[in-house]
Amino acid sequence: MGGFLLRKVGAALIVLLFASMLVFIGVRAIPGDPAIALGAENRDPAVLAAIRHKYGLDEPLPVQYVNWASLAVRGDLGRDQRELSVSRTIVQRLPITLELAGLAILVGSLIGIVAGVLAAVRRGKAEDYAATSVALVGLSVPHFWLGIVMIIYFAVKLNWLPAGGYVPFHVSPVQNLEHMLMPAIVLGTGLSAVLMRQMRSSMLSAMGADYVRTARAKGLPERSVIGKHALRNSLITVTTVIGLQLGALISGAVITEQIFVIPGFGRLTIDAVNQRDYTLLQGVVLVAAAGYVIVNLLVDVVYSLLNPRIRIAGANR
Amino acid sequence: MSYAETTPIAINPRARRRRLLRKRFLRRPLAVLGLAVALAFILVAILAPWLAPYSPSETDFNATLAPPFTEGHILGTDELGRDMLSRLIWGSRASIQAGVLATGLAMLIAVPIGIVAGYYRGWIDPVIARATDVLLAFPFLILAVGLAAILGPSLTNATIAIGLGAVPGLIRVARGEALGLREEDYVRAAVANGASDVAILGRHVLPNMGSTLIVQATVLIPAAIIGEAVLSFLGLGVQPPTPSWGVMLSDAQSYVSQAPRLAIFPGLAIFFCSLSFNLLGDGLRDVLDPRTTR
Repeated sequence: MGGFLLRKVGAALIVLLFASMLVFIGVRAIPGDPAIALGAENRDPAVLAAIRHKYGLDEPLPVQYVNWASLAVRGDLGRDQRELSVSRTIVQRLPITLELAGLAILVGSLIGIVAGVLAAVRRGKAEDYAATSVALVGLSVPHFWLGIVMIIYFAVKLNWLPAGGYVPFHVSPVQNLEHMLMPAIVLGTGLSAVLMRQMRSSMLSAMGADYVRTARAKGLPERSVIGKHALRNSLITVTTVIGLQLGALISGAVITEQIFVIPGFGRLTIDAVNQRDYTLLQGVVLVAAAGYVIVNLLVDVVYSLLNPRIRIAGANR
Repeated sequence: MSYAETTPIAINPRARRRRLLRKRFLRRPLAVLGLAVALAFILVAILAPWLAPYSPSETDFNATLAPPFTEGHILGTDELGRDMLSRLIWGSRASIQAGVLATGLAMLIAVPIGIVAGYYRGWIDPVIARATDVLLAFPFLILAVGLAAILGPSLTNATIAIGLGAVPGLIRVARGEALGLREEDYVRAAVANGASDVAILGRHVLPNMGSTLIVQATVLIPAAIIGEAVLSFLGLGVQPPTPSWGVMLSDAQSYVSQAPRLAIFPGLAIFFCSLSFNLLGDGLRDVLDPRTTR
């Protein structure tokens, strides 16, 4: 297990190193002189030279990268246009998005797993067709549009829920959930469609496996054959899929937060682009990539703990 | 001479296979419906100048926010008195263009790279695998937002961003396919016959990946259509006043209480367009890839 873990962590670190280089080069590829932007459009050569010196922009690119990366490793992502710490802004915004993502995973898993199990158990019956059709619709609906439609009906017409905004959980848990309900459903429905399909196909292959046949042959009631044997094994794959959907969740959070005016990490990303705040954009993209790599690493490790065959196959390669 | 041509049983196996696939496809009404609707959307996009009753940017300030079935405006007008139906018809161009071109771009970049990694293996395979991992570390929208910042917001750049976003996943698919195909008897036979790598890859590996790639394309096109709408909605794709379903949704946000239909119609257009390609994709997967047949 130690060797497996070491290999996985090593691979993740390499990916992170190259991803950080890509972010750094990408931001430098943005047209326009950052010194002019930092100097509030002052084009006096002496002022520009002083700014370049102050921010290390007169150093060669590899030196600039090393300086930036060494600060980033220590949690310092620089200062944005308003001279605020980028790390601090991200730390303030991230929990909001994590709450949204957590609730969306809850909604998505509840719908996806239940519908997937139902479709597999009732294969070829009305329930199966209904669940697969709904999943297909779920995959085709643009979720940001679903958000707008929900605002039209549940906020504007029925006045049941707030149309947008955010109330921190510690200020008012009830209002927090009221504000998060629609965004979580919007973000969760896409996930539920993917999970439903995965759950259905995992359950179908589990139900045809030898251990399920053995369980039936032992005379176990159908409920425990499905609940204890088929479902448990199918959940391993589905857990992995949830982890792999993180990229889609981050992308989904960007647009969902935009529609429901939630001041999270996603909205921060769009604000960074709109305000042409490249230090902020650089920080946000780096954190998103790092988060994705770390979650994937965790998924790999959890998966190998649940399924030892992966570990052994990896060691033999 | 290909392996298939030397088998004595089939006279023209390719034509027979094509006939069989067509028969299997036609037995799936939802897939046929998906194909018909998808083709209709493509035709509407091509014929937009002739089909649209008005110019998409023609304003009529005497008829702003007119409800559907107002004389001359079957779906009503928007906040500037522009004909909704005409804007929806013209908007299909951006969606279809982004859907098809982004998918084509992704294929053009990813398939050769995937084939090289899977067929040659050696040192190049892990290098490509790590590079793919690096690209996969950037969630699609974050990558697209970053690219839009670098390249500037436009439909072309949004299409490039969507296409590039699909590249890493597609490299993995192409690599997996090439990895399997290199072990096939007909590829080994071609190697033994002294065929060049270009001939093997072009004549044996690539054509045999065809069905997988077609299925992938039908998955990527609807994702790209939604991706274009998202980017245009965020102001990172098509720029107003050029019509696009995403731009129309973005404009409609300010009128959700007065005229919710301004948001409903473009959303339904995106939904039906994407659903048609998804239905077609599911049908093609069942027909072309028996392993996944439910």
